[in-house]
Amino acid sequence: MALNRNDITRLAELSRLALTEEEMARMEQTIDPILNYVGRLSEVNTDDVPETEDTDEIRALRGDEAIPSTQTTHDGIIANFPDKKDGLLRAPAVFDNPKS
Amino acid sequence: MYELMTLKQAADALANKTVTSVELTQSYLDRIRAKDGDIHAYLEVFEAHALEQAKASDARRAAGSALSEIDGIPLAIKDNMLIEGEHVTGGSKILDGYVAPYDATVTQKLKDAGAIFLGRVNMDEFAMGGSTERSAYGITRNPVDLERVPGGSSGGSAAAVAGDLCIAALGSDTGGSIRQPAAFTGIVGLKPSYGTVSRYGLMAMASSLDQIGPMTKTVEDAALLYQIIRGEDYHDQTTVNTPPFHFEKRTDLKGIRVGIPKQAWGEGMTDGVRQECGKALETLKELGAEMVEIDLPYMDEALAVYYVLMPCEVSANISRFDGIRYGQRAQGLPLIETYGQSRLQGLGEEVRRRVMLGTYALSRGYYDAYYRKARKVQTLIRRAYNKAFEGVDVIVTPTTPSPAFKIGEKINDPLAMYLEDVYTVGVNVAGIPAVSVPCGKTNGLPVGLQFIGGMFKDDQLLSIASAFESAP
Repeated sequence: MALNRNDITRLAELSRLALTEEEMARMEQTIDPILNYVGRLSEVNTDDVPETEDTDEIRALRGDEAIPSTQTTHDGIIANFPDKKDGLLRAPAVFDNPKS
Repeated sequence: MYELMTLKQAADALANKTVTSVELTQSYLDRIRAKDGDIHAYLEVFEAHALEQAKASDARRAAGSALSEIDGIPLAIKDNMLIEGEHVTGGSKILDGYVAPYDATVTQKLKDAGAIFLGRVNMDEFAMGGSTERSAYGITRNPVDLERVPGGSSGGSAAAVAGDLCIAALGSDTGGSIRQPAAFTGIVGLKPSYGTVSRYGLMAMASSLDQIGPMTKTVEDAALLYQIIRGEDYHDQTTVNTPPFHFEKRTDLKGIRVGIPKQAWGEGMTDGVRQECGKALETLKELGAEMVEIDLPYMDEALAVYYVLMPCEVSANISRFDGIRYGQRAQGLPLIETYGQSRLQGLGEEVRRRVMLGTYALSRGYYDAYYRKARKVQTLIRRAYNKAFEGVDVIVTPTTPSPAFKIGEKINDPLAMYLEDVYTVGVNVAGIPAVSVPCGKTNGLPVGLQFIGGMFKDDQLLSIASAFESAP
C-alpha cells in the first residue's frame, strides 16, 4: 500500500495542485501513515453487508425548476469573479492557440 | 458591563427591559476590544452594523413587536456560514476578499429572529483540523490557558463563548468540530441529528456528515438556539420534517437508562479525563439514572471509516476552489496551470493532504477497497448504534481522550491529530445527535462529557444533559 513518489506526483496532478518537490516529500511522508491506519477496514467482515444509503430516493430527487435569485445576489456573484468583462466571467483559454 | 450572561438570562433581561440590546451589544464589543487581542477568536467584528441592528431591535421591543425570544442577542458566527454582504473566508486564503452574495439559511433564520451578529470567528481552513492552528488568518488561543489550543475546527466559536466575547455562537461539526472545542474550552456544544439543520450557505466539507449546531454556555441555551435554526429547507434536500421539539429542563434522571460502552471506557484516555468523567458517571447515578454497560463495537473502525469517507467528499467539495469563479486566481497562466497554481497558493497543507487522500481513495483500482468498503462498515456502525439504543435512552462517553493540548504540539503529526477524534466521529458516521457538556477540570483544564442520543431525539438528549448540568 506504500505510496511512492510517482503515485504522489500523479495524485497531485489529479488533485490540480502544483506542488513543489519539498511539498511532495511532505505529502509522501504524512499520507502513508494515514493509509496504514484506515487499512484496518480490510479486516472487517462485510460479507452481505450493503453500503449505507445517503437518503431515500424521494428526498434525493426534486423538480428541475430554476429559482430566480435577487438582483443583489446576482450582482454579488459577479462582483466575486476574479476576472470579468461586461458582467461575464473571463477565464483563461483552454488551448494555447484558440481558433479565431 | 454585562458579564457572563447566558442566552436565557440575556433574553429574560431584554424581555424585562432591565437591559437594552444596544447596552448588551456595546458591552460585548468593548470586551472584544479589550480581550480579543490575546485570544484572536474574531476574524472580523461587525461593529457599526451590530450596533445598528441592536438599535433596530430595541425599537421593536419598545413597540411590543419583538421578533422572538432572542431578538437583540449578540452572537458570533463561524467563518464558513454566509451573511449577505459580509466577507467570509472559511479560514482559507483562497477566499480572501470574497463577499457573501446571499444569506445561509441559518443566518437568515437568526436575522428573522432578530439576533445580532457581532462578527465572524476563526476556524481551521474549510473546517479541516482540530486545533484552529490551520487557519490562514492566524491561530486562536484557548481563553482558559493562552498557551493551549481551543480545539477545532470551530475553535473561534468556542473561544468567543468561553472568553465571554459573545452570548453564544454557531459552529459546524463534521467529525467533532463543535464538541471537541466545546470540551477544550469548558462550554456546551451540540451536533444535531443529520438532516435537522439546513446547510444551505455553509461551505461544504463532507456533505454526508456536516451539521451546523449551537455552541453555548448552558444546555438550555443550546436548546433555545437549536430551536431557531432547525427545520426543513427547500435548499438542502437532506433536511427533513422532524416531530416538534420538546425540551424539558430536568433536575433528575429517574427512569433514564444510560449506556456506558465498554469500548469507550477502556484504554486511550488520560488519567485526568478518566477521573473527571468517572465522577460524572457517579453524578448521573445519583440523579436516578440506571447505568447499563453496553457493547458498542467498531469504535476504531469508525475513525477509519471517517478518514476514508471525509477526504473523498472533501476532494469533491474543494474542487470548486480552482480560481475560476471566485476567490484568488493565479493570473496570466494557461487554464490547467491556473488551477494548479491558484490551489497551491490558496489552499493550506491540511486541505491539500485531504484532497489528495480522497483523490487516491476514489481513484480507479482503489474505490472498492476504500470508499465502498467504508460505506459497508458504516452500515455496521449504524446497526451497532441502533442495537445499543434498543436498551438505553442515551450513551455517555468522554468527548475527547485528553484535555486541550499545547499550541504546536500536534501540528506536525496529522495522524496524532486525527486520533483525537476517536470519541466524536462515530456520531457523524451514524448521523445521530450528541452534545458535549463540561464535567470538571483536570490541572485547570476543562473536560467534556459527551451525551449521544437516538436519531431525531435531540430534545430528549438535551433534556437529559440539562439534568447533569443542574446537579450540584
